[in-house]
Amino acid sequence: MRRAPDARFVFLVHPFTDPVRRIAALRSARPALGLRRRREPVLDDARPICRLVLELPDRLVEGVIVTVPILPHDLLDDQEAALAMMRAAVARAGGAVDVVGLGSLLAVVAGRGTALQRQLWQPVTTGAAASAWAAAENAKAAAQGLGRWPGGPIAVLGHRGTVGSAVIELLRLDGAERIHVTARAGQARRARKQGLEPFEDHADTVRGCPVIVGASTTGGILDPGAVERGAVLVDVAIPRTLSGLPRRGTRVLAGEAVVPPPSYRKGRWGSLYHLLAGYGPEHLFACLAEPMIMAAEGRTRPFAQGRRVAIEDLRDIRRLAPALGFRPVLASRWRTVPPERLRPLPS
Amino acid sequence: MDLPSHVDPTTFATVRSCFAEALGLDDDEVEYDSKIIDDLGAESLDLLDIVYRLERAFDIRIPRGGIEKVTREGLEKGDVYEVNGVLTELALEKLAAAMPEVPREEFRPGLKASEVPFLFRVATFYGLVVTLLEEGKQG
Repeated sequence: MRRAPDARFVFLVHPFTDPVRRIAALRSARPALGLRRRREPVLDDARPICRLVLELPDRLVEGVIVTVPILPHDLLDDQEAALAMMRAAVARAGGAVDVVGLGSLLAVVAGRGTALQRQLWQPVTTGAAASAWAAAENAKAAAQGLGRWPGGPIAVLGHRGTVGSAVIELLRLDGAERIHVTARAGQARRARKQGLEPFEDHADTVRGCPVIVGASTTGGILDPGAVERGAVLVDVAIPRTLSGLPRRGTRVLAGEAVVPPPSYRKGRWGSLYHLLAGYGPEHLFACLAEPMIMAAEGRTRPFAQGRRVAIEDLRDIRRLAPALGFRPVLASRWRTVPPERLRPLPS
Repeated sequence: MDLPSHVDPTTFATVRSCFAEALGLDDDEVEYDSKIIDDLGAESLDLLDIVYRLERAFDIRIPRGGIEKVTREGLEKGDVYEVNGVLTELALEKLAAAMPEVPREEFRPGLKASEVPFLFRVATFYGLVVTLLEEGKQG
């Protein structure tokens, strides 16, 4: 008999492409629904696609991933409709839910979790704190691997965004000495006041930086030619930071990959979800870990909601995540890249 | 900075608050002619948040790609808007007409469609809000 969980979370996601939406529909008792071409998604079409379990010595945490039935462009077209779908999707998790996590674009639409929070009693968290924690830890590991920590400098692209600004806070907590950012005019003055080193364009920002953190939400903002040989781009951005393929002698590594604790179980459908979501078999993206950590800790305050992640929440996640066994990892195409292998590459 | 005489201070104050909240800025950092990306440091997803806040504050619906959509609606059959991502002369003219707050010289030949958001001012969104509010009044 299946043991009842001590805490449950739901993680809301959306399919990126129509084929993925249809594969997700296979989890429905009425798969034909998902196969039918339909322009207008139906609210109650949100459906659970897999169950995840984290078995701790004293607690069993269960998570359900529920997908809303709409594609990204529809989400962006009507954020009120997206909000209604997210709310309906929480109800589809089945049983009591203690924490709500938001994946990919759902973490951004409708006020970055704030509007959904006004409609639910459960804490809603966007994943930004865990993503920033993983990216900062991975950037630090890369800089250490290259023998350039803490002097760097480290470039953070997208430094005004939710994740980018949180990465900077975390790098500073760890003692990073120099952080390059792209900022013009008034934004440059503001950056200098914050102790950052501003440059007018991204190519100048990354010049001389052994490690670059890509955290801009705009995507395709950096010419691959601007990345110096031997440099590492720790990319947490979606769409990705580079405007083309990386050039020889540079590395692009997943910014928010983490290894889950050994007691993490994902089952058959969870394994399929790992592949569809791009996590690969051994890793997961930190945004999924965030509601898991909240549920495991019985925490009711979201780690991240709205545009800014509070410094105390960043301190909390960098303490709690490793304590539960989550470990950021430098990864490329689902494979772990040990930092000691990050010596400058031959041209 | 003083507002142009045609700008309604109450409406602008709400627009300014939406920008400030979405971008984590103080209200007085948001000026009527501030460039949204270069001056205020907005990113693409910030525009999404700004649009959401404006829609809620004014009870309006801003079409995605609002400005560009307005300009495209004026196209005749057979008109070409862009070639390989570069805006045509016709598109530049229409954009300039749709965004009078942007200096004419910024609509330079060779401008790419992907660069249009760099032209956006707070005034651009103010204008869009006022237009939609007026359309709403007219039913």
